[in-house]
Formats: sequence, C-alpha cells, structure tokens
Amino acid sequence: MAEPAQQLEVACSSCGATILIEPLLRTARCPYCDSPSVVDRPATTDRPRPQFAIGFTVDRARTAESIRSWLRGRWLAPSGLRRAAAERVQGIYLPAYLYSAAVEIEYSAKIGEAYERPQVDLSSKRLRRVREIEYRDLAGRHASYVSDTVVTASRGLPNAELEAIEPFDLAALVEYTPALLSGWIAEEPSLTREDCLQLAREEVRRRAVGTIEGFLPGDTHQSTSCHTSLRDESADLILLPVWVVALRYHPRRPLVRFVVNGQTGKAWGATPLSWPKLALIAAAIAGLAGLLVLVGRLL
Amino acid sequence: MTTAGDPCRRCSSPFEDGDLRCAVCGAASPAPLVDDLAEATVEVLRCEGCGAAVAYCVTARAPQCAFCGSIVRLEVPEDPLEQAGLILPFTVDRSRAEESFRQWQGGLGWFRPADLRSASRLETLRALWWVGWAFDVDALVSWTADSDAGASRADWAPHAGQTELDLDGIVVSASRGLTPRETSRLLPSYDLGSAREREPGDEAEAVVEQFELRRAAARRQVRSELERLVAGRLRNGVIPGRRFRNLHTSVLARRLVTRRLAFPAWVIAYRYRGALYRCVLSGQDAACLLGEAPIAVARVLLAVLGAVLGVLGLAGLISLIAS
Repeated sequence: MAEPAQQLEVACSSCGATILIEPLLRTARCPYCDSPSVVDRPATTDRPRPQFAIGFTVDRARTAESIRSWLRGRWLAPSGLRRAAAERVQGIYLPAYLYSAAVEIEYSAKIGEAYERPQVDLSSKRLRRVREIEYRDLAGRHASYVSDTVVTASRGLPNAELEAIEPFDLAALVEYTPALLSGWIAEEPSLTREDCLQLAREEVRRRAVGTIEGFLPGDTHQSTSCHTSLRDESADLILLPVWVVALRYHPRRPLVRFVVNGQTGKAWGATPLSWPKLALIAAAIAGLAGLLVLVGRLL
Repeated sequence: MTTAGDPCRRCSSPFEDGDLRCAVCGAASPAPLVDDLAEATVEVLRCEGCGAAVAYCVTARAPQCAFCGSIVRLEVPEDPLEQAGLILPFTVDRSRAEESFRQWQGGLGWFRPADLRSASRLETLRALWWVGWAFDVDALVSWTADSDAGASRADWAPHAGQTELDLDGIVVSASRGLTPRETSRLLPSYDLGSAREREPGDEAEAVVEQFELRRAAARRQVRSELERLVAGRLRNGVIPGRRFRNLHTSVLARRLVTRRLAFPAWVIAYRYRGALYRCVLSGQDAACLLGEAPIAVARVLLAVLGAVLGVLGLAGLISLIAS
C-alpha cells in the first residue's frame, strides 16, 4: 500500500473554522460554511501530481436513470432493488493510471488451411468432395503501441469494477487543474505505482492473446502461444469521474453498491439474486420436465 | 505545421500545438514544469465576480458560482479545423494555362468534333490550391497473410514477417473539389521541395481550399491511408507469392510527420454546343492536363460502319475464293 500522507488540519479560508482533511483525499468541505477546498500535497513516487483529468458530464438525475435502466435488464435481481432509495450518491474523482507502451508479441500457432479432397463414396459409387484442413506451423512477431489502458489506483474501487464501466473517452482528457475538483470528492492513490503497473501489464498481456487471434491468417488455427514484452512504458496519474451509489432494498440486507461512469453514464453493480425468483424458476423447470415425462409415457 | 517543443520520446513524432498526448503512441506530452511543493497547500477556488467559493458544475462542465452564476473558464483541448500551412507556388501562369488548354483541345484526335477548338467557349479558368496531407514515416510493419507460395495440398500457405518501410512524401488528398482520380494524376507533376510557408497575400492569387476535417478526424484518415498504402507495398514484392488473402497488418509508426499542403491547379470549364465540360491542369506543369471532351458520334458511327463493311467484304472475298 502506498504510504499514507498526513492528515491535514487547516483553517477554512472562508469562516476560519478548522477543517480536517483525510490522508487519502484531495478535497474537503468546511462543515460550517460548506466552502470547498482542494489540497495539493508534495508529490512522491506513489502519490504523484495528477497529470490529466476528465470532468463529470453525467449529473445526479442521469446517474439514477442509468442505474434504473441497468436494473431493468437484470430480472433475477430482487424487485425491491428497482424501487430502493439511494442511501448515498457520491461523485468521486477516482485516481487511475493511464498506461501506454510499445508492445512486442512473439507468437506461434498452427494455421489450418482448408482444401477439398475427392473421395469415392463406397455405397453410392459416386465421387464426393470432402473438406479437410492442412495444418502448418507459423511463428512471428507483432509490434504495436497500446495507449488506452486504464487501471485503478484506489483500493476503494477494484480494477474489475472500473473495467465494468469503461471505456472513458480519452479524447476528453484535460490537463489536471484543481478547479475541476472543487466541491467534489477526489481521492489520492492508495495503491503503489508498481502495483498499478502490474495491473496494467496483466491487462495488456490478456488483450495480446485476442490481438493475435485476430491477426492470424488461414481458415482456422490452434495451439496459439504468445509471449509479450513491453518497452518504453509510461504511466500517468489521471482522475476519472465516477458516481458511487449505495442502494438499500431491504432493512436487514446489506447495501448494494453501484458505480456509474461519470462521463458516459455506463452503470454496473454486483446485484444480489432474488431467492424467491430463483425458486420460482426452478419449480417451473421441474414442472415442465415432469409434464414432458408424463406426456411421453401417455404416448 | 505547428510543432511544440521536443518530439515524443517514445516514437519521435512531433507534437502539435495543444496535444496532451502523442497522437501516434499515446505518451504524454512533456508536462510544463510544476515547482515541487515543500508542504501541502489548500486552495479554495473563488468566484471572480462576487468572491464566493465556487464548485465544479456538471451542467456547465466548468466551475460555476452558485450565487452569481458566473463560470470559471477551463482550458479544454481543442480539435481545430485543419489549415494548409505550406503552399506549392504556381509556375504555370494564366496565359500559359490557356495556351496549354487550347493545345490539348487540338490534339485530341479524329473521334472528337472537328470544330471543337473553334466552336467551344472557355467559360472559366480559375486558379485553385487544393489541399492534402503529406507525411513521412518510418514504419515497422508486422504482417501475416495466406499466399500461393509454398502451398501444398491446400491452395494457400500461411506467411508472416516484419518489414521496415521508410515512406517519404506520401500525399493523401483532402480535396472536395477534385476527384481522387484527378488528384492522383496531378500529383506526379508537383515538386514537393518547392513548398513554402503560406503568406497572407496568397488568397489574392488563388482560392485555397479548406480542409473540411478537424484534426482528430484528419489523423484517422491519414492513418487509414497509411495502412492502405502499406498493404499495397506488402502485396508488391514483400509477401512471397502472387495471390494473397487474409492480409493482416500492424503498423508501428515512428517519426510520423504530417504536413498540410496546398497544391496549385487550374480548373477550366468550357462550353461546347450547350454542354459544359471540365478540365484540370497542374499549376506546376503545363503538360499535365486531364479533362473531358465531347465525342463526335457521327465520326464514331462512320468508323464502326466502315469496320463492319470491311469485315463483311473480307468474309465475302474469302468465301468466294474458298468455293
């Protein structure tokens, strides 16, 4: 974990009250006069100054609408979730690393080329054409740049959740300015730079396999293997707009967390399954199977 | 082209004004030096109008004062319309262009109307700078393809390789006024070395066409042209064999330099018996003219009739001899 910064104690420049700024936050609001402030701490390796940011373009109302329409597609989720009240809705600037590198993939595979072979059909004494595959070994190198890999730098939002609401339109990146964060919550990175680089490399390696699959010639291929090496890596700290929403659909059940892309409105949440609905479906399947068996017997 | 400071340290391509990241490889442009802080500072953004604390507003997409409504302008990356920065000068003047056009009309051959030169009227003779991108790039191309070389039972055998291609002075037309056929015929007549900076007086001499693309879209177009060009080079001598399929390429570009050029041309319109015809003449080579001209239908029919009669006569003669 990145070494935490000190908690700051500052006087509000509007009303003079003391504000405590948590070590992992870049912003605070005065509890008395509500003035928003933005902190700039001395940069360290694991907590560099953000280079770029994307501003929020999705507002609160659209966030709620995105979650509702996402839930409409999940009909196994508890019905209460659709009517649930949002317990907490927060717009957070999430620290993330924008990773880019020159990628060289050494690959090898067996490439299948299809051809037709004439064959005499013994029963009908006719000539048929049979499709066969001829496999040939192929090895080579694939060189390209990756420039749009984004990985989380926050312990609060795992990379899988960030991937679920990606992509962000990186054409809208702006240079970091504290003005963008004023009044919003902005986090400092809580993962080390090295951890984040590791996440990014894994993501690039994972995608390399797909790149090669699409790059190979022939009609089919098998036993594909890839070895990926990365050169000239760079990783810049960026701040991404993310809405984090907590819904309570039942007084005794835990809150369900949703994340919504603050630029595109793409929503995602680890929705629980509704047991009554599952039981109903299981019963329906069992009933149908029983009916089929019964009909089969009668016939 | 306007370049800002050092080239990209990963791919050596120059940055252009306002680029935050390299358009080729995605590396961040060299950041302006920010003094390292000795200790944490806390900043409250204030409204310039009324002094109230200001927060970023989603609908304004900028910090907006909740009391007086004034907005703090944020610097946003712009996607400017492309502009030709370099111009190739005219070396063919108006009278030379007209002379060249008349010569061309006279040398079109027998199938054109005999009175084409005397009965046609020159409607317009207009100087135009059409626009395009010229790029230089060192490209490392990784490729795979099926070809007929080395095939055994199947018709195809797989091949793969990596090829360095140094491409210089490749021009992609961005012209709306001229067709791709016209621009590709005109291109060999230009001397790219004669390009000079655009000057304010140029518009008086001729119309400079506008690029109708923004920078981001232009880059995509240059990129796809580069890929098309690379595929063509690979088919001509790099991949073994004569027939190909499933060609895949990955282009790693280095030192990609793009210039926006304006190419001189004379656009000629003439009228013959009520119909309008168009010609284009290179502004740097009076011999490079391409255009449309009417066809003398009567003369073509006469020639066809003559040919048919000739063949029939020959056939008759042969059958006579044979019998």
